[in-house]
Amino acid sequence: MSGGGRIGRVAAGAFLAALYLFLFAPLLVVAGASLGGGDRPYVRFPPDTWSLEWYRRMPPGYLESLQVSALLAAATAVAALFLAVPAALALVRGRFPGRRLAGVMLRAPLQIPYVVTGIAFLQTYYLVGGAVGLNLRGHPVGLLLGHVFLATPYAIGALVAVLERFPPRLEEAAQGLGASGWRVFRRVTLPLIAPGIYAGGLYAFIVSFGEVPVALFLGGPGVTTFPVQVFAAMQFDFSPSLLAISTLTLIVSLVLLLALQRLIGIDTLLRAGGGRR
Amino acid sequence: MRLRWGWFILPSLVVSGVLLFLSQAVFLRVSFFRDRGFGRVEADLTLANYVRVLTDPFYLRSLLLTAEVALIVVAVSLLLGYPAAYILARMRSRWAPALLAGLVVTALVAEVIKVLGLIVIFSADGPLNRFLVDGLGLAAPVRFLGTMHGVVIGLLHFTLGFVVLLLFAVIQTIPRSLEEAAQGMGAGRLRVFWRVVLPLSLPGILVAALVVFNLAMGAFTAAALVGGGRFLTLPVLIERTLILETKYAMAAALSAVLLAVVMLVNALAATLLARSRLARLQGVA
Repeated sequence: MSGGGRIGRVAAGAFLAALYLFLFAPLLVVAGASLGGGDRPYVRFPPDTWSLEWYRRMPPGYLESLQVSALLAAATAVAALFLAVPAALALVRGRFPGRRLAGVMLRAPLQIPYVVTGIAFLQTYYLVGGAVGLNLRGHPVGLLLGHVFLATPYAIGALVAVLERFPPRLEEAAQGLGASGWRVFRRVTLPLIAPGIYAGGLYAFIVSFGEVPVALFLGGPGVTTFPVQVFAAMQFDFSPSLLAISTLTLIVSLVLLLALQRLIGIDTLLRAGGGRR
Repeated sequence: MRLRWGWFILPSLVVSGVLLFLSQAVFLRVSFFRDRGFGRVEADLTLANYVRVLTDPFYLRSLLLTAEVALIVVAVSLLLGYPAAYILARMRSRWAPALLAGLVVTALVAEVIKVLGLIVIFSADGPLNRFLVDGLGLAAPVRFLGTMHGVVIGLLHFTLGFVVLLLFAVIQTIPRSLEEAAQGMGAGRLRVFWRVVLPLSLPGILVAALVVFNLAMGAFTAAALVGGGRFLTLPVLIERTLILETKYAMAAALSAVLLAVVMLVNALAATLLARSRLARLQGVA
């Protein structure tokens, strides 16, 4: 801090340390407590005894839910990007009537509480099911639609943030040199917005992977996501293996995040996500 | 020929538009029927659900409780988040990028995992209570589950990372040279902060407050798990009404009220924000 006294610096450091302790302690405790053992479903941190028992005795439903969530989140990210890339290009580069209104409408899902979105989609699925006999509740496609609705605004936000930094002149120059529209997109636009695609895809993945209420309302037997599985187990049949599966998820998330950060830099990740949530 | 980017808006506009308007219209319509139990509703339209939500003390209390929790979470998030963001934005340390990456990581981890950790930490024989009781000699362990402070802490853990990241982005846009100039002209650090930094970050603070308010009003996962069925905020009550009581119309009416409150506050904040930007522009002119 510029010109700050020694006391000020120490106080600032202590304050930050306390904040980070608060933010990271639950993650460390989950990982630490997952290494406990014993026959009783008894969680203690730090553990009395150390073992990998709760990893070995993982109920099959847990791993299955993790698989459901990974597939769903990946599909959500891909679908959201297919909508978000053209939308972001139009919002930033396009000049058409109603552009601002379109932006407001595309951001609207961000302001609706997830519980409300969940109920709204559930009622819609009941109506559609009654009308044409297509039952989307408890069907993977129904869940995917809900998550694409939630996640697309985040992907658009990330892409808009990246696009706003590049002048359209580059594309116009390529076109002036005789490149076709598709070629311009493939060779100039796409490489330019690649960081936005990674960041937007990541945010879409995260929204789908962490969200409970919509997946709780729209899911069903066979389509239970990981967070819904943990949520239900914490309420009705707690098992210490929850700690184990959560730790595994945590490790995979950390590795993915670090890899992505290497790829696109923390700056893009921050800029793309900061203002939108 | 110029590229016609405008048409690219169509796929997302059609998909999001259909999903948005169809789902909102359907659930709002359901809220005007009377429940017959087991998910079935009567045929006649009625305002009975809304009258009930706005007169029955049980539902009113839940609405007030949700607003109260959200406002507390907004206040504490800003009080803790602003200084943290300021320190991070002004620090000249090689640790700064790593600290920011840490915030991103905690903000992106699935919420159920974080709440699971919080519940272990705050449990009656968890590390915190053992420290308080055995270490500091507190008479009884502090209760966390089913209490207001528990739910507030649970939501804070969820919002704090976002607030710091948002405010960091805001404070970063305020040039350090402005502070140095003010100090060079003899203003004390507190005065510089009060007269220069704070006014310049006010619109950003308002935006952050709104983001936290939206998150807190709609917060379900942490509120349900920490509240433990005893502390019923509106989103938790909506889930119970829908799943445990299968009163679909009532759940829809409660959702409509929650949505209306959130939208109202957002509209109000948008007006305030437009006015503060205008005031700043006039101040410059």
